[in-house]
Amino acid sequence: MRLATAGAALLLAAGCSVPAPPRAEAGFPACSPPSGSLTVTPTTIDVVGQAYGCILADSQVDGREVLTAGFAALVRELNRGGRDLPEAALPAMTGDRAADWAAFETRLRAIGDRVPALRADLAAATLEGMAAALGEGHARWERPPEIPPDHHDGDGYGLGLRTNAGAALPPLFVTAVDGGPARAAGLRPGDVVESADGELDAVYPDARPVRLRLLRPGTGRRWGVTLTPAVYPRDPAALRVVRSELLGDVAHVRMTGFPPDAADRALRAISRLRAGHTLSGVVLDLRGNGGGSSTEAVRLLSAFVHGAVTAHECAADGGCDGVWTDDTVPLLGLPLVVLVDHGCAGACEHLAAAVKGLRAGTLVGTRTAGAISGPARPFRLGNGTVLSLSARRHLGPDREVVDRIGVPPDHHVPATPHDAAAGRDRALETALTLLRP
Amino acid sequence: MRRLLAAALLTGVAACACSAPEPPRSAAPSPAPARPVALPAPTGGRPVGSAVLHLTDGSRPDPWDESMRARQLRVTLWYPTEQRDGPRAPYMSPKEAEPLLTGSGMPATAAGTLSETGTHSVRDAAPAGRGLPLVVLSPGFTKPMSTLTSLAEDLASRGYVVAGIDHTHESYATTLADGRVAGCLACDSSGDPGFRAGLVRGRAADVSFVLDRLTSTYARLIDSGRIAMAGQSIGGAAAVAAMVADRRVRAGIDLDGTTYARIPKGGLSRPFLFLGTPQHVPGGPDHSWDRDWKALTGWKRWLVVAGAEHQTFTDVPLLAEVIGLDPLPGMLPASRGAELTRAYVAAFLDLHLKGRRQPLLDGPSPCCPEVTFPAQ
Repeated sequence: MRLATAGAALLLAAGCSVPAPPRAEAGFPACSPPSGSLTVTPTTIDVVGQAYGCILADSQVDGREVLTAGFAALVRELNRGGRDLPEAALPAMTGDRAADWAAFETRLRAIGDRVPALRADLAAATLEGMAAALGEGHARWERPPEIPPDHHDGDGYGLGLRTNAGAALPPLFVTAVDGGPARAAGLRPGDVVESADGELDAVYPDARPVRLRLLRPGTGRRWGVTLTPAVYPRDPAALRVVRSELLGDVAHVRMTGFPPDAADRALRAISRLRAGHTLSGVVLDLRGNGGGSSTEAVRLLSAFVHGAVTAHECAADGGCDGVWTDDTVPLLGLPLVVLVDHGCAGACEHLAAAVKGLRAGTLVGTRTAGAISGPARPFRLGNGTVLSLSARRHLGPDREVVDRIGVPPDHHVPATPHDAAAGRDRALETALTLLRP
Repeated sequence: MRRLLAAALLTGVAACACSAPEPPRSAAPSPAPARPVALPAPTGGRPVGSAVLHLTDGSRPDPWDESMRARQLRVTLWYPTEQRDGPRAPYMSPKEAEPLLTGSGMPATAAGTLSETGTHSVRDAAPAGRGLPLVVLSPGFTKPMSTLTSLAEDLASRGYVVAGIDHTHESYATTLADGRVAGCLACDSSGDPGFRAGLVRGRAADVSFVLDRLTSTYARLIDSGRIAMAGQSIGGAAAVAAMVADRRVRAGIDLDGTTYARIPKGGLSRPFLFLGTPQHVPGGPDHSWDRDWKALTGWKRWLVVAGAEHQTFTDVPLLAEVIGLDPLPGMLPASRGAELTRAYVAAFLDLHLKGRRQPLLDGPSPCCPEVTFPAQ
């Protein structure tokens, strides 16, 4: 979920590659794609109404279900704040979209007037509930993250560690130490997390300490440590979205996402490595790649295969459009191995599923995230936030569902605590073996 | 003008300086090709000489091109000279002007005229004087050092040695020692998280290396105890980074640049000047100056210039007609922008490197009603 959100953020960064907005429902403000600067103001009931209009304009969903889910979320938020109210009952829903909204809005305003301090929080909870009604991944309401006051460009926030959480295989262990509290406490890759009493991926302003029980397999040492989320500097070189190196005769290209121009950056990197070298193949390292622009993923894939459908985008009525390779991208004529893991989400899975289905290369690593609901259309709401809707479903090249399933690699090579502790990358080793001439 | 200039030459810099630049307004190319312009004459008393150095730092690879095992830098020096006559130093070559214009989304038709911009420096004239204070200049992202020539010549005419650094691969055009014009490889990754923090760290390393070389090569000309740095946009952010990394930089000026370097916990006690547009007000959309203001523990000023835009502190408004940009109403006239930039930068340097009192920096002055002091 978090990964999918990261992917969406990258896609939003693209900003303008947005299809024509759907027409607004009569009586609701127009839905428009995002543009310009991000100044976010508190969520109002008008913003909720605008989101409702965008959802109805973009999908076949029953408006009554959307409003009911929104109201249920509002009630939960009200109860969480210990402020239940006699007015907090859902009015009768008739199926007339405008009339239902009018009744809903009136009730929302009455509730807001009783608890003015909670007004924005309640509106936000309602909007989140409405988005969730469309099903996991089909609607996301994105608000710019809060920024800690002492934040510098490139800083991380949290415990300063990454784990294999989300991977199918136990045990849970530290895969990387990025800095901050984890580094200060002496944690190392390969340390097994036997228990944790809190969130390992804290998001600011969550600063609740997390108590960890750790085991270092190499020494058998067991110990406990309490880490408190904080801002910490990271190595800027390690944050580059596209990094490349020559490993023997193989171009190893790591990509942490698919921002606009990602494909060109990767292809330029390969051509630079190719200058003066005879390459035997390309390892595209997409482990932890949170996705972004599918257009970029398809362009990159198109350097390895032409004239093929990489995915299908299907509407609720069953009609599908094929997403074709971009045959203006010159073929590299090089064998390809793609490294994937549970962090490969969204556009990354589009590429992974296509590589596998089209036999454009070999997949090595572990199953991808399964977080690719469909192409998202972002809409700017009145308070500067963005509602992303994906009415159409993404299917792989063989019309297989990838969302919630993921793409299983051809060669299953999971990371282990032992390898992590030794700094050994078995998936990459496997890839290089496969590309050996 | 902000929008207009942002549209054309300056998109990269604008994007670097403000978290969310306004959408650019398209600039129509001027109907007739403009004639070359001359930069405003320097206001100090001394004639100015200029020379180009190509320096190679073998201790580290180029941060943007892994195939280059050494960091190559082009440094332009401006300095007082006795020599009044002689060929003027070129502003930039046509081979530099063209990628600068096209990289900035402008037609390259003005490249020839732009390269003929008149300077006031005698090319390769012999430097005059000894023990002079040194000012390092660092330009905005994607911009060659030439875009700060008006400021550089003025400082040299006031008795400073000025060393302007072209940070290779961070500009659309840098002519290297072998004559090759290197492009903006850093532009590839400019949207990445941590890109700017890494870039200013690299510029700080560039500055330390250049200081090593200049203070030994020009040991008589330069007083190594009196060194300051100023920069525009990310070059200003680099001034903070250089001061954090290198104690030889005694004072710094940031001309409208969002800052990225981490000031250590104990703070930075050497003098610093923030000089910005109205976008850079305390509590404004860019939190970086507010953050760093608290960490500056020595002499400091935060000045805002009404009617200024991001490029006011560079030569760009002076060249607007040449490159086909019309100023928007309400913006400072180009010559006034240059005048204020020169006056406040020189006042700061005269105070901290020459120990001369500067009433201009004590508060609002009748001469300069555009300049306010919004932070204490």
